[in-house]
Amino acid sequence: MVSGKASLYDKVVRVTNVYLGPAAERFIARQVENHLHKPPEQLSRTDLAGLIDWIRAAVSLLTEDNDIVEEYAAELQKLAGIKPNAEEP
Amino acid sequence: MLRTETMTHTDKTAGSQRYTFTAVKHYLWVALIYTVLIFILTASAATRQEYHLSALEYHVISFAVAIPTLLVWLAAFIGYAKVREYAWSVRKTPEGIYFDELAGGVTWLAWSLPVGTIIPTVLNAIANNHPAFHNASIILSNYLNLILALIAFSVIAGASRGLLGSVKMKLSLSSARFLIMGFLLLGVLYCFFTFRRLDLSSLGSADNPYFLPVWLMVISVIVPYLYAWFMGLLASFELTIFSRQVRGVLYRQPLAMLVGGLLTVIFSLVALQYIASVEPRVGHLVFNYKLALTLLFRLIGGGGFVLLALGANRLRKIEEV
Repeated sequence: MVSGKASLYDKVVRVTNVYLGPAAERFIARQVENHLHKPPEQLSRTDLAGLIDWIRAAVSLLTEDNDIVEEYAAELQKLAGIKPNAEEP
Repeated sequence: MLRTETMTHTDKTAGSQRYTFTAVKHYLWVALIYTVLIFILTASAATRQEYHLSALEYHVISFAVAIPTLLVWLAAFIGYAKVREYAWSVRKTPEGIYFDELAGGVTWLAWSLPVGTIIPTVLNAIANNHPAFHNASIILSNYLNLILALIAFSVIAGASRGLLGSVKMKLSLSSARFLIMGFLLLGVLYCFFTFRRLDLSSLGSADNPYFLPVWLMVISVIVPYLYAWFMGLLASFELTIFSRQVRGVLYRQPLAMLVGGLLTVIFSLVALQYIASVEPRVGHLVFNYKLALTLLFRLIGGGGFVLLALGANRLRKIEEV
């Protein structure tokens, strides 16, 4: 269960867990460190849009099932308060 | 900083890929040794006489029969290397220790194929030149294959138990009952077929195709084989449960491939050991249904190793993107 005090990073990991299971936490940590160049615990809401793009690109390399990729991205967008499938500016 | 990270990633990939390089190198050596042995060891007089073959014909036919086996070994070596690479990429994670153990078990399985073939080939050749050694060569070959199976299946069973425990799962009662029923069926049939070849009127008689007294055959061959197969079946069940219950839809797909491959390998090896026990070795090449079945199950096992390698490769990709 997600506690009210769970950090954004924990929430992202929790969503990712549904798709990547035991590999979820290290996958997110790797994306944040390698692409956002910051410690995973410092992940902020403003980083999420960029992170989602990186995650979408990474997960597309793991599966050809686009529905899963979009479903995963939509779950992460909910955390960022971004309306899923919203037009890119 | 980006450059440092990129290099680290490259080093990580190179570090893990050394397993494939080493495994292929080892494969080339064992394949070369086996091929050379096929051509230089004395041809079996019994086979030549039975099929009216010249020495050259015997060697060429032996090599033709060995080609599928050589291909299966290649699949096996690449398979274990890929599992080792994945285990290396998750070595610092909670489940890493169990994948490392699993990789160890798969390595034993892969090496058991050439070792369990090359050493008996040499022993048979010695027996061809020194008939007094024939019984010893059969006994040694049987024990060698038994020991390799015991080690490989025990290590894999330890890993599967650990993986299942790491996600706080255990074998359900219905699964345990199904497993026990399957094992009992396998064991009773095995005992039935094996005992038919033993002289049960005298427990000390070694007048059987295994050249062992009945009591020693039961204690040192039948019981250990049943134990090894039980370990193999148990590991298969536990790994299947782990791959179905673990979270992560994208993680489960390659894991299911890896587990499916491993189950196929375990099934084929149990079948091969079963055939070799029920229809004992004679120490020379015989073209019969046993040879056809042996090649068939070896190829099935090779397919299992390919599946295993593909699954492990895809799992490793999750750790690298």
